[in-house]
Amino acid sequence: MTPYRPSILVADNDEASRDDLAVFFSEKGWDCNVVSDAQQFDKELNTEAEYDLVIADPDMPGLDLTTLIMDVFRRKPSQALIVVGSSADTNNDMRFIHSGITDVITKPVDFSLIERCIEQAVRLRDQDERERVSARFIVSERTEIKCTCRELAQVQALALPILGRLVESGLLTSYEGLKIRLAIQEALLNAMEHGNLELDSRWKEEICEDGVDRFSRVRKERLADPTYADRIIRFKSFFDGYRLEITIQDEGEGFLASESFVQDVGENLSCFGRGMTLMNDAVDEVRYANGGSEVTLVKVLRKSGGQ
Amino acid sequence: MEFPTEIIGDKAYIRVTSDLDTELAGEALRSAFNQMYEQGKRTIILDLSGAQIVNSYGIGKVLSCYQKLKAEQGVLMVKPLDGFVKETFELLMLDKLLPVDE
Repeated sequence: MTPYRPSILVADNDEASRDDLAVFFSEKGWDCNVVSDAQQFDKELNTEAEYDLVIADPDMPGLDLTTLIMDVFRRKPSQALIVVGSSADTNNDMRFIHSGITDVITKPVDFSLIERCIEQAVRLRDQDERERVSARFIVSERTEIKCTCRELAQVQALALPILGRLVESGLLTSYEGLKIRLAIQEALLNAMEHGNLELDSRWKEEICEDGVDRFSRVRKERLADPTYADRIIRFKSFFDGYRLEITIQDEGEGFLASESFVQDVGENLSCFGRGMTLMNDAVDEVRYANGGSEVTLVKVLRKSGGQ
Repeated sequence: MEFPTEIIGDKAYIRVTSDLDTELAGEALRSAFNQMYEQGKRTIILDLSGAQIVNSYGIGKVLSCYQKLKAEQGVLMVKPLDGFVKETFELLMLDKLLPVDE
C-alpha cells in the first residue's frame, strides 16, 4: 500500500522561512504548496484544494490573525492550522482567540514539532472520513442524557454527536446543523434558567449598581444553591433515518408557550423573548407537553443524502 | 475570555472573537462595552465576524448595550454581517435596529 502523502500549504512572506519548510516537506515526500502574500493566501483558501495542514505566519502584511483562523476553519473545517510567528506577541494574540487551532509556534521552527502536528492532523482526518462514511448507514440512533443545572452550566452546552454525523453524511446541510444546534441551545437554556432555576426574563433589564443585571446575579446565586442547582434536565434525541426528534424536559412548573411567544419581534426592544422565534425557525415542529416543562423539536430530514 | 477593543476617533470597536452564546462570552461583551462606555464613547461598533452563532442570550446582551447607549443618545452599530449571524439578525429584525458601519 502506498503511504499517504500529506498535503501542506505554507503562507509566509519570509522567503528563507518558506523555503526551509518547503525543503523539509519535499524531503519527507509530502506535497507542499507555498504562497508569499496575504492576497495569494486568500485566493488559495478559496480554491477547491483542501490541505491536511495550513501553516501561516500571522506577521504577513495584510493578514489579520482572527480573520485568518475563521476563514480557514469556516471554508474547510477539516484542515488543521498552525500559526508560526516571529514576534513574541504571537502567543499573546492567541489569548483572544477561541478556536480549534492546532498549535502556535515561534520561529525558528522546530521541525520535529511540525512533523508531529502533521501526523496528528492526518490521523484526525482519517477518523473524520470513517465517521462520515459510517453516518450514511445510520438506521436509527437514540441518545439520552441526564444532568443537573450545575453540570450544564459548567459545560455551557451539550454535545449531540448525531448532529455532526448527519451534516457529514449530507442528510443535513451545515447551515441546518447550525440552526438545530442553536434551537437546542435555546431549549436547554429555557429548561435550565426558566424551568429549573425559576428566573424571570424581565430581570435582565434590571441593572444593579455594579453594572450586572439582576438576572445574571440571581442565576449565579441559584447555581450555588442545591435546591435549584441539583434539579435535573433530561435530554433525549431519536433519529429514525428520516426524522430527528429532540426532547428536553426540566423539573419546573412549566409555562404557557402562547403567552411567552413574541409575535412581533421587530417591535421587541427588550433583552429577552427571542428564543422561541429562533427555535420555531430552526425545525419543522416545536411541541410542548407537561404544562410546558417538556419541549420536543422535530426536524424532518431529506430522504437520502444530499438529494 | 476578553474581546479586543480599539478606538478610532470618536468610534469604539469591539471585536467579538467567539460565538456569542454563553455566559462567558456575554460577560466578555459586557466588560468590553462598559470599558468603552466609561471612556465616554457613545458610538460603539460590534464586529461579529468572529462569531458563527449568536443565540437569544447573546442578543439580549447586544440589546442591553443598545439600550444603554440609546439612553445617552448614543448609537450601537455593527460591522457588515454575514452567514448565519446575518440570518439570525434578519429573522429577529435587528438589522432594522442596528445600523451597519461600512
